[in-house]
Amino acid sequence: MRFRVLFKQSLPVLALSLFLQSCTTSVVVEGTVPTPLVSTIPARMGVYYSDEFKYFKYEEVIRDSGGWSIDLGQQNLSFFQNLTASMFAGIQEVHEPPLTAEEMQNLDGVFIPSIEKYGFLTPSISGLKFFSASIEYRVAMYDKVGNKIGDWNIVGYGKSEGGMFSSDDAINEATVLAIRDGGARIAIELIDQPAVQAWLQSIEGSITPPADTADAAERIESVENSESLESVDGAPDA
Amino acid sequence: MEPPMHKLLVAPVLLTLLSGCVSSRIEQSRDSATGIETGEAIVLLGRASYNEKQTEDSFTECIADALRQGDNPIRMIQQNQFMDDLYPWFEPRTAPTSAEELGKLFTQPGVRARIDSANVRYLAWIDGDTVTIDSGGSMSCTISTFGGGCFGMSYWEEDASYEAAIWDLKTMTSTGQISADANGTSYLAGLVIPIPILARPGNAACKGLANQLREFIVGES
Repeated sequence: MRFRVLFKQSLPVLALSLFLQSCTTSVVVEGTVPTPLVSTIPARMGVYYSDEFKYFKYEEVIRDSGGWSIDLGQQNLSFFQNLTASMFAGIQEVHEPPLTAEEMQNLDGVFIPSIEKYGFLTPSISGLKFFSASIEYRVAMYDKVGNKIGDWNIVGYGKSEGGMFSSDDAINEATVLAIRDGGARIAIELIDQPAVQAWLQSIEGSITPPADTADAAERIESVENSESLESVDGAPDA
Repeated sequence: MEPPMHKLLVAPVLLTLLSGCVSSRIEQSRDSATGIETGEAIVLLGRASYNEKQTEDSFTECIADALRQGDNPIRMIQQNQFMDDLYPWFEPRTAPTSAEELGKLFTQPGVRARIDSANVRYLAWIDGDTVTIDSGGSMSCTISTFGGGCFGMSYWEEDASYEAAIWDLKTMTSTGQISADANGTSYLAGLVIPIPILARPGNAACKGLANQLREFIVGES
């Protein structure tokens, strides 16, 4: 008898939660993970991926199109694992800095990517016929003794045509394109940054900077010499 | 038992009657001689920009399908495959904007080898879109216990404007441009049941551009 009353009382709650769940579009971002054809930075790097980066999930409720839950963690992680493996002469995933001198023994520095912002627009918001997505990455680099080489903000954009009944596919595609766009800029432009060139010269002795170094430096919004970053709590310890 | 001939003809005749009129114009300018050898391939890439316009994937796929078929089929490389293989050099913000930039791009490690291994001879950039330039009319539909129906008429006019810029990856030069413009008005007439009379300017532009592109590549060597 008591169980029946309890069951009756929980029915509306169950119905409400099912209704709310049905109004949320869940997208687990999936796409190809291309291997970049770029000049390798001649350095062995430790790469630290925070849990926030690995399991990044974005949630938003939009008045006209309901709730959205976009899980881009796995795609983003796979993409950056592939990207860093192509960009540097050697990589090794490391725990959260600071690292000990022993841990840094076979490494020239530490590379830390993080996601600052993610956002998307539906056609009903933008008035365009595309779904679009943007990701703002911050990449920070530290040298062997824990001094900051620099950190840079890179924004990737992506957009995709979307039908009325395939908005989740369109958001997926726009997000994959935004990750690719951000990754492309990191792969191409990071090596040309004056701070990276100076660091490479200090560890390698000689590396010829490309002619358009100044242009590339302007294209990546540098936040060098800014105040310490919230996303990077500490530098690797020497 | 096979259906009678007149029944087989009903569908195409009906489709023809229900198709709206489309006027189209194709123009071409050639910078240098072209030709394609057996085994060489073409890749079509849709230009994407970060404003409100972008070449629809369906349009480049339509041209690629048309070039794969016909009397002189051409080997096509899938756009996504090409972009993945040459990542990050053909992304919307990193792709070369003119054939003159190809020389610099080919100095990047692995780029020339990757293109040669896929035997890609020509790269055609497809730029443009289809937009609705006018619309009007009205139609209302009702439904009741005694039945329902639609009455009235609405129309919309679409303009499809596309351009293909063809680059020869062997000589690293621009070989020419082809443009296709098509315009048509579609109608939706409500005579109890809604009857669509559709003009498809995007489709006309695709067919026109594909035929001209085939002639451009194969026709003159």
